[in-house]
Amino acid sequence: MTVVEITSESHFNELTTSLPSARPITISFHTPWAAPCTQMNAVFSYLATQYNNVTFLSVDAEAHPEISEIFDVSAVPFFVLIKNGKVVRELSGADPKELSAAIQELSGQQPVVAPAAGVENDEKEETTAEEDLNGRLAKLVSAAPVMLFMKGTPAAPQCGFSRQLVGILRENQVRFGFFDILKDDTVRQGLKQFSDWPTFPQLYVNGELQGGLDIVKEILAEDPNYFKNLQTV
Amino acid sequence: MSGSGIASSHIEAVIRERLNSTHVQVDDISGGCGQAFEVIVVSPLFTGKNVLMRHRLVNAALKEEISAIHAFTQKDYTPEEWEKKQQQ
Repeated sequence: MTVVEITSESHFNELTTSLPSARPITISFHTPWAAPCTQMNAVFSYLATQYNNVTFLSVDAEAHPEISEIFDVSAVPFFVLIKNGKVVRELSGADPKELSAAIQELSGQQPVVAPAAGVENDEKEETTAEEDLNGRLAKLVSAAPVMLFMKGTPAAPQCGFSRQLVGILRENQVRFGFFDILKDDTVRQGLKQFSDWPTFPQLYVNGELQGGLDIVKEILAEDPNYFKNLQTV
Repeated sequence: MSGSGIASSHIEAVIRERLNSTHVQVDDISGGCGQAFEVIVVSPLFTGKNVLMRHRLVNAALKEEISAIHAFTQKDYTPEEWEKKQQQ
């Protein structure tokens, strides 16, 4: 299939409302003058030929500011992945590998490779996608010595528990990396399986789950120097 | 997304049944919507387990219930720890 270039907001609305809601959609936001967009446009077009079960739409972000605003696009290239009418992932920047993996996840199918050498069975495909996700999650939880997976960002938390945990880390002067799970549903659901932990926020130290807000509070109640001791590691 | 929520009494019953608890306290902190709970569980099953392990034990026992609600916080004590706490 090929990429459909959006010509107006009504064209966009027409297309998105006429599609069956189960069909995944991905939208690429680009501008003609940004060099990384040219490269990513080519990648996007190629991906469109590989995944027939996904609708690929392309929007010139400056020509259609109303559409850019709907998705809060602040920089290009920018990609939005939609499943069942919900934005499940957003990607910012020019990373062909990341986009390719994200679209494969969205599609849930193996890319069409012409000519097809043979037919892989479905189970094997699913395992590969799952392995990729687990690999990605393993890297994410170790992205910083202290990693916080939260709702929102430290500057703008979107949940009381996340806000409190950020507060505790700051009080203890802990340097931490964070990930906003509201921006990536794949990580949000994947991490629950990966760590066998049902709630957010989740705090990881050296790649190991410590727990959520209530556990961190309990740990500190017993050992107020818990974070200080970590710093020396 | 979760539906109409869960009753505190149901959570209490499940905890007593599945976690050998000697004392259970369940507070609905969602304003009666059955969406957010704060629980205290006292059980000998927690002896020898660190905080994370205790939470995992409770999470496993309440897997279905937790996945149906929005927020869940817990404090877990062994019977001895709870006794001490009462005397403070």
